Amino acid sequence: MKHILDGIRVLDITQFLAGPAATRLLAEMGAEVIKVEFPGGDPSRLFPFLKDGRSAYFVQQNRGKKAICLDPKSPEGLEILKGLLAKCDVFIENFAPGVIGRLGLGWDEVKAINPNIVMCSISAFGQTGPLAALPGFDNIGQAYAGVTSMIGETGKTPVFPQLALGDIGTGVHAAAAIGFALFHRERGGGGQYVEVSLLDTYFHHHDANVQVWSLSKGEIKPTRSGSHFYATAPAGIFQGKEMPIVILPLLNMWPKFCEVIGRPDLIHHPRYSDNSRRAENRHELIEIIEGWLQAQESDVESIRILEENRLPVAPILSVEQACQHPHLIERETVRWIDDRGLGRFQIPGMPLRFSAFPGHLDLDAPFLGEHNAAVLGEYLGYSKDRIATLEAMGVLVSEPIPSRAAG
Amino acid sequence: MRHILEGYRVLDITQFLAGPAATRLMVEMGAEVIKVEFPGGDPSRKFPFLKDGRSAYYVQQNRGKKAICLDPKSPEGLEILKGLIAKCDVFIENFAPGVIGRLGLGWDVVKAINPNIVMCSISAFGQTGPLAALPGFDNIGQAYAGVTSMIGEPGKTPAFPQLALGDVGTGVHAAAAIGYALLHRERGHGGQYVDVSLLDSYFHHHEVNVQVWSCSKGEIKPTRSGSHHYAVAPAGIFQGKTMPVFLLPILNMWPRFCEVLGRPDIIDHPKFCDNAARAENQIELIAIIEGWLQAQESDEEAIRILEDNHIPVAPILSVEQACQHPHLIERETVRWIDDRGLGRFQVPGMPLRFSSFPGHLDLDAPFLGEHNAAVLGEYLGYSKDRIAALQTKGVLASEPIPALIKAAE
Repeated sequence: MKHILDGIRVLDITQFLAGPAATRLLAEMGAEVIKVEFPGGDPSRLFPFLKDGRSAYFVQQNRGKKAICLDPKSPEGLEILKGLLAKCDVFIENFAPGVIGRLGLGWDEVKAINPNIVMCSISAFGQTGPLAALPGFDNIGQAYAGVTSMIGETGKTPVFPQLALGDIGTGVHAAAAIGFALFHRERGGGGQYVEVSLLDTYFHHHDANVQVWSLSKGEIKPTRSGSHFYATAPAGIFQGKEMPIVILPLLNMWPKFCEVIGRPDLIHHPRYSDNSRRAENRHELIEIIEGWLQAQESDVESIRILEENRLPVAPILSVEQACQHPHLIERETVRWIDDRGLGRFQIPGMPLRFSAFPGHLDLDAPFLGEHNAAVLGEYLGYSKDRIATLEAMGVLVSEPIPSRAAG
Repeated sequence: MRHILEGYRVLDITQFLAGPAATRLMVEMGAEVIKVEFPGGDPSRKFPFLKDGRSAYYVQQNRGKKAICLDPKSPEGLEILKGLIAKCDVFIENFAPGVIGRLGLGWDVVKAINPNIVMCSISAFGQTGPLAALPGFDNIGQAYAGVTSMIGEPGKTPAFPQLALGDVGTGVHAAAAIGYALLHRERGHGGQYVDVSLLDSYFHHHEVNVQVWSCSKGEIKPTRSGSHHYAVAPAGIFQGKTMPVFLLPILNMWPRFCEVLGRPDIIDHPKFCDNAARAENQIELIAIIEGWLQAQESDEEAIRILEDNHIPVAPILSVEQACQHPHLIERETVRWIDDRGLGRFQVPGMPLRFSSFPGHLDLDAPFLGEHNAAVLGEYLGYSKDRIAALQTKGVLASEPIPALIKAAE
């Protein structure tokens, strides 16, 4: 057995990021993923880093998938998709709501073809509700979820996190939902339709804001507060001698933290004796802590002292530093892959670690339409002639594989 | 059948957020979760919002769980935990690495007791490696993952996102891993150990930064760039007439966006003709777009025009506005719950939607040690006398349930 999803076949008609991230996790777990692209290909094939027309962005998300490229609006293309639905265990799409139905592949059609399939739709706002029809990417869902409003300096324009917290997170939510639906099917519960959205996913991460606003009857209005938490203190980014440092000595760590910074007098001081007082008086607390940091020999030494006292502390690593950090390398949180087009480079590793499958599968990202013939031949019994005819008709499309990659 | 995990029992010895978020998803899917707390309780019972000693923070993450509270360092407490491991399908913990082993409940011990169990450890840095032993919460993993460095104004101190992107995200990763391990078990392959960390989860979200840095051989050094994306343009937060507005008219939307702006002349302009050119000249481009926004009748009108043209656009809602938005309410992205202590209030809804189970289960957050007698009686056959003796000895602990609530029940 290769991995957990050995023998599970996925028809993946997703593009960009959230959908491909979900099926990437399935491919890492051994599923056979058939990625369907339309003529022109997944738009992420044009995202940077680009070299000789090959996108590392695309490669990162699509390793280990088989690629077919067809025109879904031709009767032959639709017939192929319906044929594959009958042979697959999972069907996943991330078009705007309504599009998959207009293609003739809504859940009603899909379950009539294969009642045992798990179908997953991923969208920005979900399949229903007043916003459902709007187009959206990661940060659009973020803005509507009240998340963007919680990131940046108070009273200033919010800031834009420079990574796909929402899209990848939504992919993980989708993979989780698919996993539990497959589990349900394994126990004899049959197929079903699962739905995941960017907006639901982003909103799901509010640990304090929603309940605090709701129970205070709107008296507390959560908003961004720069580099420190608004409701917990000390908790934030403090200016060290030369660099900013994250320090989070929460709750029962407060007395020990005061001892370490040589201020046992603060432990029971009326301005700092509990979390709500510390949050209220956080500005003077920040000054005290930054004073201590700046009086140390070096930031490295301050971090060491805090670590030794088991207080949560971290330097703020750049991407460059993170990619070279011995811990991330040893655990393959950042790992090397090989691509036929781009060669060897680093990407984030597999975040789900199973003791029964400690290694990595050998996965390759496909060129456009690379597996047209293999997939149609193997699963639908199409002859070489029929495939060639469909290619000549423009129903099937593929890009040439560079000669150095073909070997 | 109530839901997918009906009949599955989870021993949950987690605290704070990442672990409880994972088991919260499982309980929403019908699992029976036995939450083990130590005397004093899960520290999140002290997190705001607090009213009469009851924490909404705790309630949000722990609805539907059964709570037992015991001293794990007493021989009797350890015996109870081992007894429950034999009766459970999943065992999940989020202590610092090594702690669970020192308690006598490491994977070797656990699998000897119950080879069919799925054990999941959640930690800040993972179970191995040079950082493994360090303590850590959400933003510690975020800082080490190179994520914090990507949020804020260039050259200034990064900004702290005021929500638990990492902890809740790690909980979802853990729930996913447990689901697949249960599927594997259901297909006849027994139990196993799964290891999930904040650092892995945060780092997993880099879609561009890692490969761009690596493929450019370090020439491109990704860093925070305020309210706009550093590599894609136009993509960011633009100043409208009275408020900031999010806009992402990327790639093939560019020509249509220029038409909407009334600037078809810039579609093929050498400074803006492709994404790389636009990213390079984005300061100029931002001025053009903000000029258009500010010339419209209102921000609502500008958003409407862009929406009509299928250009991705959003107002930046406050939490308050999001909680009152008709779309979030209709879909129960924000939903109402009832707590015996706190009454009725809103929390984020269940983000996984299954057609076979469209409704919500009725779930109640436990008081400390509320189910000591029920769990020990039902699963381990402890008599009332034995349970009372353990309570007297301090092996079991519980908090009094407010009289008002008791009376209501």
